[in-house]
Amino acid sequence: MRQILSRSTNGPIGMIAALLALIIVFSLLNPRFGSVENLQNVLFQVSVPLIIVVGTSLVIQMGSIDLSVEGVMGAAGMAWILLSPNTRLETDIGVWAWVVALGIGLGFGLLTGAIYAKLKVPSFVVSLGTWYVGLGVAILLYGNSLLPSLTSETLARWPTRLTLGLPNSFWLAAVVLMVGVLISHYTRFGRGLMAIGNNEPIARSNGMPVDRYKIAAFSVAGTLCGLAGILATMQLGSGSPDIGFGQLFVVIPAAVIGGTALSGGEGGVLRSALGVFLLIILNNGLVLAGVDPDFQSGVFGTILLIAVIAVAWPQRGRLKVAK
Amino acid sequence: MKTLTTSLFAPTRRAFGAAAVAAAMIAGLGASQALAEIQHPEGFNPDEWVIVASVINTTNPYMISNIEGAEAISKALGIDLEIVNSNNSSQTSISSILAILASGKKPIMFVNTVASSDAPPIVDAVKQSGGYVSIWWNKPDEFKPQAIGDNFVAFQKHTGVDSGRCGAQALAEALGGEGNVILLPGVQDSTTSKTRVAGFKAEIAENYPNITILEERPSNWDPQLGARNAKDLIVKYGDQINGVWSADDGMQIGAMQSFENAGMLDKVKFSSDGLYPKTLEDIKSGRGDNAIVGETFHRGYMASAIGLYTAYLAASGQIVPSELEPEKRESFFKLSCVTPANYEQYLQYDEPGAPDAFVERLVETGPWNTEPVPLVGGGVEVLPES
Repeated sequence: MRQILSRSTNGPIGMIAALLALIIVFSLLNPRFGSVENLQNVLFQVSVPLIIVVGTSLVIQMGSIDLSVEGVMGAAGMAWILLSPNTRLETDIGVWAWVVALGIGLGFGLLTGAIYAKLKVPSFVVSLGTWYVGLGVAILLYGNSLLPSLTSETLARWPTRLTLGLPNSFWLAAVVLMVGVLISHYTRFGRGLMAIGNNEPIARSNGMPVDRYKIAAFSVAGTLCGLAGILATMQLGSGSPDIGFGQLFVVIPAAVIGGTALSGGEGGVLRSALGVFLLIILNNGLVLAGVDPDFQSGVFGTILLIAVIAVAWPQRGRLKVAK
Repeated sequence: MKTLTTSLFAPTRRAFGAAAVAAAMIAGLGASQALAEIQHPEGFNPDEWVIVASVINTTNPYMISNIEGAEAISKALGIDLEIVNSNNSSQTSISSILAILASGKKPIMFVNTVASSDAPPIVDAVKQSGGYVSIWWNKPDEFKPQAIGDNFVAFQKHTGVDSGRCGAQALAEALGGEGNVILLPGVQDSTTSKTRVAGFKAEIAENYPNITILEERPSNWDPQLGARNAKDLIVKYGDQINGVWSADDGMQIGAMQSFENAGMLDKVKFSSDGLYPKTLEDIKSGRGDNAIVGETFHRGYMASAIGLYTAYLAASGQIVPSELEPEKRESFFKLSCVTPANYEQYLQYDEPGAPDAFVERLVETGPWNTEPVPLVGGGVEVLPES
């Protein structure tokens, strides 16, 4: 009984406490922080990293890492905008633009996964390679002519438009998140990833198709990066090879803060999502609280440290080696 | 056409002027891509040299324009070109440059430095190799070409203070001298951003007492961060915001998207720096009830062409840097204030073939007298008090 209790409280409770503390403090500092408008703003901002972090978590759970996020986003985002109504090319192929862009994401994921699983090259290095290949593709697509901007009002406005009071981009992210949670908890594939992260030789000897699972996990991650690239492009209204700039260092810390161990076998999609919320709310709150830009980085880091300690606090008693 | 160019390029001695006339003739023949190669002075063997242009990345429109200028100069001088993509990293920049220097050819170099502190090691390496370099935009103030020698030909820039002042004037005038503005600087500790912000604030403090700066949020030259910060500030200040100034057009593109999403684009005025093609489109179309009210004009290809041509003149012995006036070693080139009323006169510089046309005029008139970016001053840029 005690074990069950401690298990359920071990999870995201520290995380939720840290989040609540932040929300309370920021609301006191600026009442506008808690406004509906800001809620919509925060949900709009979390949507892109939320989509990415689902894939990132699946990959990290099996003890691997996917660094290719920004490159894949750039390639998929550029491909999507050039095939949608834009100021540069008249090659609007409608819904097929989505298929192509997601296909690019899937392709990069497959490539990373296959090289990693079949050729036994560390995922760190493989995905670093695919990052740059992706960025290279994005730069080639970008060329050196006009910056492509969306000409379709419907598409450009879609991410901010509200459905049931929340921005569409968040709904998209929420759907991805739900599917991610379902996959990781209720499918053989999802549980398999965790098993691989825990102990790959045992998973293998139990007859689990480890290589296939690995390739599949990277494919999911790649496809989701493609989707995130499309959404980020829509949000900005213009295409840029750098559309994913900075996302990697939101999603990986978010996953780790959420309790997904880089060594694998621990954590979960939902917890990583909370990590994303923590990082985005922290940034948003600091701006609303009017923290001087000169201090913002320092204050951000300090609060993050405190939050991480709070998150890890319930687990401090366990005999655990941190790496 | 090939024979004509070849004969011009052959080592027969010809007066400089004759080459220029020939260049004009060839241009007149309508051969847009076949820019005439100029006649090098005696004793200068172009095969011993390589033109190197080092840019911060290859995704920013400004950097792409830098590369176009280098290509135009390379074509005009008939010297091979190497592009260094620093990938936003000083380390990458320096190590790639060292690799090119090791190839044996002497460099005629333009460097758009990632950080001020990159300038000394790069200049040292170029000096060792017997090459000539012009640095653009960033260097430590106390690191002077005059103290290093002829190999560090010049440091060149458009002043950030003027850029900030242009933006401030346009924005304040559009608001009738009254209202609240927010600022989106670039990378906070970059010289370019600091000087632009200082110029903006000084202009407001000196001439527009009824303009209030609500807040500034550095947005790292990143359109998405610009969009995010703008969104946060919209939540914070709402319709108190009357104007937005960004340190470059990239961030302004992001900020405008956020204001458009919030349904506020037609109530707020914007000014910035760079006159990117996208910005030009928005000015032309009058997006958001003529939301963009001020810009500055300068082009990356002009910067790289001026830098490389100055370095070439030193490499070929046509100028001796140590004998130049100080403002030709630490130079400020003209920056034009652009408004919706006068933007049309700048369209010609974005037409296809504009970099080649600029280089042609540059070769005719020299690096310090070419419109629209003649030399206007020099020294170390002083930040105004505000």
